[in-house]
Amino acid sequence: MAGGGVDEGRRNFLKAMIIVAGLSVFVGMLRGLEVLVPPKVGLEEFPRLLLVDERGNPIKASSIPVNGRQIALFPYPLNNEPNMLLNLGDENGKPVEVPPITVVIPQNGVSYEFPGGVGPSRSIVAYSAICQHLGCTFPELTFYPPGVKVMTANGPMDKIIYCRCHGSTFDPYRGGAVVTGPTVRPLPAVVLEWDPSTDELYAVKMIGPVIYGHPGFSNPTLDTVKNPTGDLQGGSPAGVATTVVKYYSNPIL
Amino acid sequence: MGECSFWDWITDTLHLRDLPFMGAPSLMFNVRYWFGTIAVAALAWQVLTGLILLLYYQPSNAYDSTMAIIHNVPFGSILLSSHLYGAYVMILAAYVHGIDVFLRGTYKKSGGAQWVLGVLLFVLTLGVSFIGYSLTGDVLATDAVDVGKGVLTALGLQSLIPVFFGNGTQLDLFTRLLGWHIIVAAVIILLFMLHYPRVGYRVPAISRNNDLTIKPWWPRNLIFTLAVTLLTWGVILLVPSILAVPQVLGKVPILFSPYPGPSLTSPQASSIPAYPPWFFLFLYKMVDMPFGLTVNAVMGIVIPLVVLLIIPALDRGGSPHLLDRPWVTALFITGLIWVIELSVWGAVQPGIPVKPTWFAVVIIPPVLVSFGGVYAARRRWIKVKGRIARFTTRGVKFSLSKNTAVALGYSTSMIAIVAITTSFALNPISDGPYVGVMWGIALISLAASLMAYLYVEYL
Repeated sequence: MAGGGVDEGRRNFLKAMIIVAGLSVFVGMLRGLEVLVPPKVGLEEFPRLLLVDERGNPIKASSIPVNGRQIALFPYPLNNEPNMLLNLGDENGKPVEVPPITVVIPQNGVSYEFPGGVGPSRSIVAYSAICQHLGCTFPELTFYPPGVKVMTANGPMDKIIYCRCHGSTFDPYRGGAVVTGPTVRPLPAVVLEWDPSTDELYAVKMIGPVIYGHPGFSNPTLDTVKNPTGDLQGGSPAGVATTVVKYYSNPIL
Repeated sequence: MGECSFWDWITDTLHLRDLPFMGAPSLMFNVRYWFGTIAVAALAWQVLTGLILLLYYQPSNAYDSTMAIIHNVPFGSILLSSHLYGAYVMILAAYVHGIDVFLRGTYKKSGGAQWVLGVLLFVLTLGVSFIGYSLTGDVLATDAVDVGKGVLTALGLQSLIPVFFGNGTQLDLFTRLLGWHIIVAAVIILLFMLHYPRVGYRVPAISRNNDLTIKPWWPRNLIFTLAVTLLTWGVILLVPSILAVPQVLGKVPILFSPYPGPSLTSPQASSIPAYPPWFFLFLYKMVDMPFGLTVNAVMGIVIPLVVLLIIPALDRGGSPHLLDRPWVTALFITGLIWVIELSVWGAVQPGIPVKPTWFAVVIIPPVLVSFGGVYAARRRWIKVKGRIARFTTRGVKFSLSKNTAVALGYSTSMIAIVAITTSFALNPISDGPYVGVMWGIALISLAASLMAYLYVEYL
């Protein structure tokens, strides 16, 4: 009894309408797949965090060992972004002033101003502990203090941050600049503030390329290197007012 | 006719005519016979939404991660509330399906195996819903888990408490609840696969009729199945979304709230009675009975379950007419009344101990009324039995004109298009409930237009 007296044109039109409606509903609900995209976590802006030890007591800048046998790590600005805190010195263990310097990114020639070291001798610096080449972290990426040499692409070198995964070399005395590849981007630096009255240290922002693995890390434009906001996304905040510095033995010593 | 050959091409390519499904006579295209399908459509929705929820739920952070799904995930409020109401729809459909099978007496034909599988599926569905409800970690869930532990203890099964609820830490509790939720859901799917294939061959109308109205499964059954599925999903989306609209949400009783209740640590928690999920209210009231927890639990769980499972063994052959099996009928009606009475009572007086007189007042009258009524009707039935033709024409004689049906099909498909278009203007996080309402309307309208089409073209 197909149709039951309804003429074929009207029946075909109904069929076409239902197909259109069905496809619209299908497409409309496909938008629901957005449910699979997790909400972004992170921060709106760089927080000013006091560096403290595991008991919550502030770290004193003048008590950080020069060329320490141990590596001090602290997360900033997010928990999954470890950074090395270094008090740089010379062969005799005397603190070395780290001057402000222009760091050039080999990948695209973009440059930015590294503000230099802080503390009583302007020798304290902090860099991301995640290699910009393929994301190896401390202890693969570590500091070779004066007198401890490693074979790099430029021959045996000390006073560098060297990644044992693929041999990238960075210069902590010159803003984390690239010494040898394979990396094409310098290490991002933590901008530190030293309060001379209390001898306490604060992490206030990052400068340089976005930390490896965070949004935009592979594309360091002129804007992002000055204010790498990608560092703020993709993790939980390192802390509200403080971030904890922990000491680890340096595997190369 | 280009269009016809296109459909023929699809039919041939996908071998749709060769699928091992039974067709059905025209009179079967009535929602009454499709509550099993509704339950399965709800189950499919549960699997889909449940797997997505699995990407967000954190057993280590049960309550907060659940609330974050509602507030932070795009379409998250729809995802969570429709997963809750999908369970409710599945439970209701299972109830109606079971009642329908009982009324038609088809458990006799299947030799009981299908009935027993059905009862097991029903129990597992209640169980998996209970576990899912507890996963939120809100104050109700915490109470429900505590009562569950008490009931297990009363039944002498306290050694199962660590198996289901873990070693006592919150992390182990929610990790296990999540694990069991998925395991039981998987068992339900497996049992359903055993439950399903025979159903098609046991539909009574088919075995009795050599009716010419039995047409092949493709395309009539497919269209109707699709329509029933879309209708089910539409209801699952629409109802909780309406309840979640901010102006409505505050007025929804906590038992039917589309979202979890307050957290255990919130100050509001103390003002909320220790409710179980609504489908366990009857059991919850049984626990308040004056016979001690063990007897109460045996009366509320073990006896009903055993009776349901052995009914096909006690009531085997003979006529499926309700009045030809009077004591089973009366028992079934009594049980249903008890479930309703106890559920309402549990909602009104949760956790208040019951005095023996009140127990008698509530429990005894349904027995007298059901058995008295059924046996009185049977006396009358025996006298007239032979004189009534077995199969009188079913259903109402009213029939919709095909032209009206076409008009209905046009308008409902237009409504579907308008509703789905509107949903694009809404934000998936802040306007979640409104998106759900639009989607619900679109799916229900689409289902209606498919049914109109089926009616015009094939019935």
